[in-house]
Amino acid sequence: MSILRSCVAVAAIVLVAINARAAEVIPPKPAAYFNDYASVVSKTAASRFNEQLAQFERETSNQVVVAIFPKMQSDDDIAAYTYRVAEAWGVGQKDKRNGVVLFVFTQDRKIFIQVGYGLEGAVPDATAFDIYENRIKPRFRNNDYEGGLAEGIDSILKAIRGEYTGTGKTVAERRRSNAPAPSFLFFIIFFIALSIISRLMRKLGGYSYSSRRRGPVFIPIGFGGGGGGGWSSGGGGFSGFSGGGGSFGGGGAGGSW
Amino acid sequence: MNKFAIGCGGVLVILLVIVFVIGLFFWGTYNRLVGLQQGVDAQWAQVQTVYQRRADLIPNLVNTVAGAANFEKSTLTEVTNARASVGRVQLDPSKAPTDAKQLQEFQAAQGQLSNALSRLLVVAENYPQLTATENFRGLQAQLEGTENRISVERNKFNTTVQSYNVAVRSFPTNLIAGMFGFSPRPFFEAQQGAEKAPTVNFPNFGSPAPAASPAATAAATP
Repeated sequence: MSILRSCVAVAAIVLVAINARAAEVIPPKPAAYFNDYASVVSKTAASRFNEQLAQFERETSNQVVVAIFPKMQSDDDIAAYTYRVAEAWGVGQKDKRNGVVLFVFTQDRKIFIQVGYGLEGAVPDATAFDIYENRIKPRFRNNDYEGGLAEGIDSILKAIRGEYTGTGKTVAERRRSNAPAPSFLFFIIFFIALSIISRLMRKLGGYSYSSRRRGPVFIPIGFGGGGGGGWSSGGGGFSGFSGGGGSFGGGGAGGSW
Repeated sequence: MNKFAIGCGGVLVILLVIVFVIGLFFWGTYNRLVGLQQGVDAQWAQVQTVYQRRADLIPNLVNTVAGAANFEKSTLTEVTNARASVGRVQLDPSKAPTDAKQLQEFQAAQGQLSNALSRLLVVAENYPQLTATENFRGLQAQLEGTENRISVERNKFNTTVQSYNVAVRSFPTNLIAGMFGFSPRPFFEAQQGAEKAPTVNFPNFGSPAPAASPAATAAATP
């Protein structure tokens, strides 16, 4: 009875939560540091910003993401909405919680800078407000998106440089170089398990693999997982973004221009 | 005789296994409850920190605002009084309240302060010399950030309490919870009239202010 009741309670909570944000869309995790979904800056500027932010993570481990959307997909307050998006994306390292996300909604003419827990000391709300008010807003008002973003990014990076030190690699790069190991291990375990099972089966006499079908047939599956994903290891290419699992506490500031 | 001894031994082994399994269950469940409860207390400390942060901002804000020529005194005293009454319902910051009434009182006092503060900021819009100062704008940004933090931490608190309460109430965990005195915890109520303004939407962020008079808006927007 008790289980039933708590199940109903949980279901009710979930339903209420869904209802409350029926009109809200949390965008999927971005693939880059600089994401211009509203096409307001040139391709070359976008890749320059992206590389600047990727390099910044290599040096300092701080993850700074810029997301430019045409419209806010929520009826809620911008601070509350962008907090949920930043939290869902997991920007920043998990242990240092050092992420910053600069949100721009072009049609709403709104900006918000979300600051992760670990950087609230380096970017207090007054600083975030100053960056928005004095660096970004004046340029955005003149329709100079590129200039405003360059200034904004520079001042954010300046404020948080020196807070933490980096490992020389981004989370995305670390994940890629680590990726082959687990799948190789998985392959070995899989192979051992397979041989044990087939031997057991044969002993029990219920079912047996023919020698032709053993092992080699399954090997490509094992390799398939480990071999892929080398798309940007060539160097000089596009640096992909991968969130480190950082969390946010509602710090930051913003407004409309 | 021998058969009887073997039978007895078998029963004993089965009993031992049962006791062992129950022991394991107790152990795991108890530890899980302790972990959940500590999560609730830790999150409560976060909630207290952000509320305290707001309270700490107020003297500075009041001083800055009081410096403005003939500032409306009643809104200022309202804020000061609300802050004082918040100070009177201090709860233990290291342990989440177990009494729903206690939390309600706390929430009501904090809600009153929220309202007084938002009123103060709306009134401040009528004093362009004040809102133009660097000091006031910095304070305004900090205060808004604090309100955002309060709503974030309150939501996180409610989520942790929710999962703790579900654990305490559901079978079979509830047997152990009852045995060791783990009781459900109260959480913040979202829609409570006085608490309707947790996100103080400062009108003066460059856009026309809906609440302020047109004259003040024109003067406040550079």
